[in-house]
Amino acid sequence: MELRYNPLTDEWVIVSAETQKRPVQPSKVECPICPGGLELPEEYDLVSFENRFPSLKRNPPEVDWKEMGPFRRERSFGVCEVVVYTSDHNTALPGMPLQQIEKLVDMWVDRTRDLSGYDFVRYVFIFENRGKEVGASLPHPHGQIYAFPFLPKRIEVKIEAMRKWYEEKRRCVVCEVLESEGEERKVYENEGFLALVPFYARFPYEVHIYPKRHVSTLLEFSKKERRDFAEILKIVTMKYDKLFEQEFPYMMMFFQAPFNTESVDHFFHFHVEFNPPKRDKDKLKWMASVETGTWTFINPVVPEEAAKRLRETEVVL
Amino acid sequence: MYVFGRAFQEGNFVLKEKSYVLEYTVERIHLGWKVTGTVRGRPRRVEVFREGAPERLLVNNWQSWGPCRVVRVRDYVPPDRIDPDWQYTASVFPEQLTKGLQSDYFVASEGKVLGFLSSRIAHPFFFVENGELVAYMDFFEANFEEPVPIEPFVILEDPNTSLLLERYAELVGEENNARRRTKAVVGWCSWYHYFLDLTWDEVVKNLKLAKDYPFEVFQIDDGYEADIGDWLNVKEGFPDLETVARVIGEHGFAPGIWTAPFSVSETSRLYLEHPDWVVRENGEPKMAYRNWKRRIYALDLTREDVRGWLWELFSTLKRIGFRYFKIDFLFAGAIPGERSRNVTPVQALRMGLETIRNAVEDAFVLGCGSPLLPAVGFVDGMRIGPDTAPFWGDRVPDIGVPAAKWALRNAITRYFMHDKLWLNDPDCLILRGEKCELSLQERQLYAYLSGVLDGIVMVSDDLELVGDEGKKIFSDVFRLNGGRPRVLNILGEKLAYEIVSFGARSGNVKMYVDLEKRTFNLEVDDGLSIRRKTVERGDGRKFHFYEGVRGDDGTQVQPTDR
Repeated sequence: MELRYNPLTDEWVIVSAETQKRPVQPSKVECPICPGGLELPEEYDLVSFENRFPSLKRNPPEVDWKEMGPFRRERSFGVCEVVVYTSDHNTALPGMPLQQIEKLVDMWVDRTRDLSGYDFVRYVFIFENRGKEVGASLPHPHGQIYAFPFLPKRIEVKIEAMRKWYEEKRRCVVCEVLESEGEERKVYENEGFLALVPFYARFPYEVHIYPKRHVSTLLEFSKKERRDFAEILKIVTMKYDKLFEQEFPYMMMFFQAPFNTESVDHFFHFHVEFNPPKRDKDKLKWMASVETGTWTFINPVVPEEAAKRLRETEVVL
Repeated sequence: MYVFGRAFQEGNFVLKEKSYVLEYTVERIHLGWKVTGTVRGRPRRVEVFREGAPERLLVNNWQSWGPCRVVRVRDYVPPDRIDPDWQYTASVFPEQLTKGLQSDYFVASEGKVLGFLSSRIAHPFFFVENGELVAYMDFFEANFEEPVPIEPFVILEDPNTSLLLERYAELVGEENNARRRTKAVVGWCSWYHYFLDLTWDEVVKNLKLAKDYPFEVFQIDDGYEADIGDWLNVKEGFPDLETVARVIGEHGFAPGIWTAPFSVSETSRLYLEHPDWVVRENGEPKMAYRNWKRRIYALDLTREDVRGWLWELFSTLKRIGFRYFKIDFLFAGAIPGERSRNVTPVQALRMGLETIRNAVEDAFVLGCGSPLLPAVGFVDGMRIGPDTAPFWGDRVPDIGVPAAKWALRNAITRYFMHDKLWLNDPDCLILRGEKCELSLQERQLYAYLSGVLDGIVMVSDDLELVGDEGKKIFSDVFRLNGGRPRVLNILGEKLAYEIVSFGARSGNVKMYVDLEKRTFNLEVDDGLSIRRKTVERGDGRKFHFYEGVRGDDGTQVQPTDR
């Protein structure tokens, strides 16, 4: 287990044979994160625990060399947590009671605070892979947190783009997008947040959630914002499930400012990205050569049309 | 704007003067420009930057205790005289303070911060001359045969001045490889109750009472030693320092000790045995300051034997168990004068600081009475204001002498240094209601503001005198810290400030303080509505169990479990 540096792309790769051992889609009977399961023999409400098969560890193994010719490697400091949303195996974000999602939001806040307290942590990445289409290994409702010891490449790209915008205009780019958005791409909004299919969506049915106030991390959310955030997450995921009347797979990712490094709070705006692989009820959009190799996306669904469909998909809390 | 006498412009330049050659680069950085370069020869005082002075300036004194305050430039009246007993606390160039407005290291005005990123060789400062703000680097009498780096200089611009000050601090931290500790320090310090009347019996009494508090550090302050300079010799009634450290450690605290390591009293054994170890003027020992009713000299930190003694002192203190070192009156190490080696006073000071850091290794070092920029990278914490006091100090002049009011003012105006240069020490909380002139509201104001500003939390009381009221204030501090504070109106001329802290332990916090009226208003967002219980499994993995709590119960605060 170690970090290896790729000098062709100036990025770090996590090499972890441990992750090969992760279980794949076990049944409810043997679900390791149900109460009584392998990981959680006790009763619980919500729990976040360090992955048995981590990519990063608080006490990673030593590496016997760090530099040899063009090759560099480092110990893989970090934390990988499994975040179990509820003890109920047969639900998911859209079906969970709002109150449970509110507790989940509070748990994410506390996990962010706790993990950012490790001096080796630079980035706290909260995410959920839902559905086997995006590689979820357990059907029990859960997400994950990676506390990275470096800034992952795409985070760096986002930071540099937002920095550039700020330097030119002395404004946060997301704040400016929020001011410019109308009804056309809106999916849902409440007092604190706007959910939209962004003008620049890469995936069909991609949804972003932006807090209306300029905040850079979850830690800055007010109590009201935490409640609004829980509500909008529930609404968006309910709309997704209703869209094709099926459990809608997605990658849900929270982007917050880094910790224990240069402050970017003034231009980095917290946001959520939902990257769903579905382009239609029975069709998937693959991350194929162009997307993976060049980071150029070809979106087959016009964002305004996707937004209209999601906006008009009615759900009741 | 002029840089090294040339109209402002990005690029690489060479400045050739009679006695020196300066090569420099002006380049763009985030929110502004940075000037770097090298100098060779005998530069003495070099003008770095010049522009029209703004109406209002946040000006800064060079060392911990000195004021950091907003001044209306046109109305500024320099002092008639500087107290010769304390002249070097006012400036490394005290004689020029009577001539005009000076700011050391940085200045801030509406939408702009100008600042030097280091003080490794030169002393960088600003002076207002004929309506112009001029930045200088003073290299004293040093002569550089080979090029040496100049102190980098930045010009930062943004409508948000607080953001600029935070950015400036971040750049200073990076430039000097600042020591960053993510964990706050909580502890007890003897000074503000016992002062010089500290006794061993009182230390032991407080050690027993301290078990009711979440202290990590228990620090004895001035009052244990035989004389200034004779740190390993204790005064009558104290056991040897090894016993002091052992007894503190046995009570479960990291033992802490105060010293003034670059100072030596005229009556001390150290001075009597080594009169040649001190900084001189015209061949005679030079008084650095007068305190404890004695002349205090400054150790010549360029001497190898002095540094050997210093290393031995601190490695001994570390070896016998001390883990927290409050090092005080550090400005003495940087007074101008004759030293055995021809280096600048700033370099001499840094040689002393480096020696201490090497001796104590990874132990916690708190700087005090210290020139600010030269200490970045050596200290873990830094006092950023004058001493507090068991009185408010409305009539105390704003010149760095003890007063709760001025200690708090500096904690506010230097807030941006926290967690970027070091952990800010706003000075101790005083919780007791007896033997103290501070009202309940004043004690709350001090404690809560220290909490919101997220600095070091040291308590300085005879703990026997701290009642439930005081304990409640103390526990409330831990609901308010842990966030990212920002002073919104740092350029305000009145001593009334609006401070926000995002992500404090109890949520987002807003605090309005008025140091003239001695009032405050605190708005605390509701905390998380969950409770965490962390369990470590047999394989070493941590499991964090959460459950909901009802209504207001959720505002409870949980320390991290490390």
